Amino acid sequence: MSELPEYILDRIFDAPRDMVWKAWTDPELLARWYGPGVETIIHEFNPVVGGFWLNEMKWGDKSMLSTAEFTQVEEHKLLVWNHSSADENWNVVANPMMPDWPTTLLTTVTFEDVGEKTKVRLVWTPVDASEAEITCFAGMMNKMGGGWESGYAIMDEIFAELQA
Amino acid sequence: MSAEPNLDAVFSALADPTRRAILERLSAGQATVNEIAAPFEMSQPAVSRHLKVLEQAGLIERDIDQQRRPARLKAAHMSAAADWLAEFEHFWTTSFNQLDDVLAGMKLANLEDKTRE
Repeated sequence: MSELPEYILDRIFDAPRDMVWKAWTDPELLARWYGPGVETIIHEFNPVVGGFWLNEMKWGDKSMLSTAEFTQVEEHKLLVWNHSSADENWNVVANPMMPDWPTTLLTTVTFEDVGEKTKVRLVWTPVDASEAEITCFAGMMNKMGGGWESGYAIMDEIFAELQA
Repeated sequence: MSAEPNLDAVFSALADPTRRAILERLSAGQATVNEIAAPFEMSQPAVSRHLKVLEQAGLIERDIDQQRRPARLKAAHMSAAADWLAEFEHFWTTSFNQLDDVLAGMKLANLEDKTRE
């Protein structure tokens, strides 16, 4: 496959760029927002090239670990890391819920001024992925990127049916 | 067919535009291979191959005892795939909403610092 699928998520935050950057790179602040309704424990956070972000999310009696190795860092502008699920020794493992989900996703976060606000763009793309991983990721990204109209319509119909 | 959907098979099946179009056709009601093949300008064996992938992913089911073997949608596995997608999207949307709150708190703290000066 010549071109790798990527997933892009844009969001504008109503705050200046240095503040948004701080909320992403100060582990105390990061732990307060990263992870929906879970307890986020940051075991290590070192946003320099080659540094790691070792993250634990806890809910109920469950716990999910992930490891991220920073590959590019430009203050107030750019954060790039390789993101993977991890075992209890912080070794990279396949996604426990979905084995063909790409084991490692290159995650690129850019910060950009939009007037007084800040636009954050997240881009995910598989790293060293097998064909199965790329297909799995592409199938999902098609849907999430909104380019998958017919499939999306079917799902809407099915949800409506299930809820009826 | 196992009760637990194999999400990898589901997403691989959904990654192909023809198969998604077939699913869309089936969402309008069950159909035979002939009926499915007609609008696609595709041979019946080709359609049958796509149906087999969809069937193995648990997205459709086909009658065994009837000669025409009409295919129809199976909603449960599709919904499991959608749940996974929804969860991934939910993760980031909710996290970003929480980040909005954190930023609002930081702005407020900055403002209070300035007032004190």
